[in-house]
Amino acid sequence: MAGIYIYSEEQPVTEQLLTAGKTLANSLNEKINVIDFSEQDSESFIKKGADHVLCLKSDHPWPESYAQIIADILKEKDPTVVLIGGTLRGKTTASIIAAKLQTGLVNNAFAIEGSGSVIETKRIMYSGIAVCTEELCHGSIVTIEPRTFDAAQDSDHQGDTENIDIQPEAKTITVGNVCPIVHQDNDIATAEKLVCVGRGLSDQNDMKLAEELAEKLHAQICCTRSVAEDYHWLTTDKYVGLSGAKVKPNLYISMGVSGQVQHVAGMRDSKVIVAVDTNENAPIFAAADYGIVGDLHEIIPLLTKELG
Amino acid sequence: MKIIVCYKWVPDEQDIKIAADLKVDMSMAKWKISEYDKNAIEEAALQAENNAAEVTCLTFGTSKAKQSLKDALSRGPEKAYWVNDAKAENTDGFVTANILAAAIKKVGIPDLIFFGEGSEDSYGQQVGPRVAALLDIPALTFVTKTAVKDDAITTTRSIGNCTEDVTASFPAVVCMLPEINKPRIPSLKQVLKASKKPVEEIKLADLGLSDAELTVKNKVKSIQGFVMNRKNKLYQDGSSAEKVKALVSDLAKEGLA
Repeated sequence: MAGIYIYSEEQPVTEQLLTAGKTLANSLNEKINVIDFSEQDSESFIKKGADHVLCLKSDHPWPESYAQIIADILKEKDPTVVLIGGTLRGKTTASIIAAKLQTGLVNNAFAIEGSGSVIETKRIMYSGIAVCTEELCHGSIVTIEPRTFDAAQDSDHQGDTENIDIQPEAKTITVGNVCPIVHQDNDIATAEKLVCVGRGLSDQNDMKLAEELAEKLHAQICCTRSVAEDYHWLTTDKYVGLSGAKVKPNLYISMGVSGQVQHVAGMRDSKVIVAVDTNENAPIFAAADYGIVGDLHEIIPLLTKELG
Repeated sequence: MKIIVCYKWVPDEQDIKIAADLKVDMSMAKWKISEYDKNAIEEAALQAENNAAEVTCLTFGTSKAKQSLKDALSRGPEKAYWVNDAKAENTDGFVTANILAAAIKKVGIPDLIFFGEGSEDSYGQQVGPRVAALLDIPALTFVTKTAVKDDAITTTRSIGNCTEDVTASFPAVVCMLPEINKPRIPSLKQVLKASKKPVEEIKLADLGLSDAELTVKNKVKSIQGFVMNRKNKLYQDGSSAEKVKALVSDLAKEGLA
């Protein structure tokens, strides 16, 4: 047995993984199998390149509790590689499955490539300073974060669906009080323009400078970890970085951001990066396309005005 | 209530240099307890202070990790377990989880096992839930709040687009997000007290793991510096207003202003 297996508890992420899966399927000459919970999605997955959809029928509400069931299925199918959506739930599920199957796991791969029978992944290490290239063992699991790939395009691809009735695991846990996080503005992860504030702001009144600039640009405001966690000027869902939000807007303007590696790891996929900071040796300038060394109290109002 | 908190001894990435040939140079790096793990140790210390939990810590590291023990113990735990083996130099989430799970079984599965959300160096984000799976107990990950009542822990998880409260009966693995607490800076008294706390060294051979369980799965082909491809244009001439004008003109060319 062989094949590429794809799973995410979020259907749009599965569609993105299909893009990576199709390239891989071509170079490895393998079939693409999708594991999902809703029969409704299977037609769309097939159009987007799935050869086979395994539809698990259950109504257990906690996605993580399916890890054992998915592990059991994968054990029987003996896949070449398993791609799992790198949402936070997905990474937990992937880790549990990997342990159950005693196989390898690459979390947060940003690239995956197949050639002959060899599959290689790339992921970042040391908070983003380095890239680790790994050659996967047979049956390794790889998680890929949402929005790393665009959703696969519809085609006239044909495939089939298999329904599997499953018994969820005994409930050793209880889940309650599920609250969607209400983003104060729009979600920064999908914003087209971002203004980012860092500790270079002298006090909370300086947020006004960022707000005026953001308003002019129709941008969202985000921040570094310490602005959210130490100063609490913005909520924690607004901080960009390795352990925070990963963003890739068309324009990213930072003000008073020094550019620590963990922060840069969250924003370096932005198309154009602009930095304003007083310290000319700040690492943010190495990560920026355009930089102005200067006092943000002077530069930012000028910029807001000039953008007229 | 017994808690084991796991941590990793890692190079401080602020001191890691990337050479011209993109090789990663760690020769200047100071080593430290991974920042994310400090949150896990702090959460265990708070459980010791507020709920009389009996806290021990566990690390898998090379002989160099000996330096970490005093720092870890000064942060609250009463005893440290150290699986000392050169294999820690070349490990992965698979091997590390097998070793930690075996060590935990050896010293006795506690009520709670705490982890950070990932290690600061490789950030594989898998050892905590892997250990849970190996011990066949629940994994509560990305936790921003914990509350212990009777023989169960209720956690608030922050998982991207939602938060949820998950309760698990003991034993359970809990992996903390950094925002859960602010790790203490150990006082002189705590540091001095740490020197007197017991350390138990565990030999890998005593864990009864097979060669297959101790062999890394995926093969690392290279670790190279990340290449930043940016224009790096600094506006240095003229007044601030002129610099801003030049910037806006460049942004306009990119279709962004």
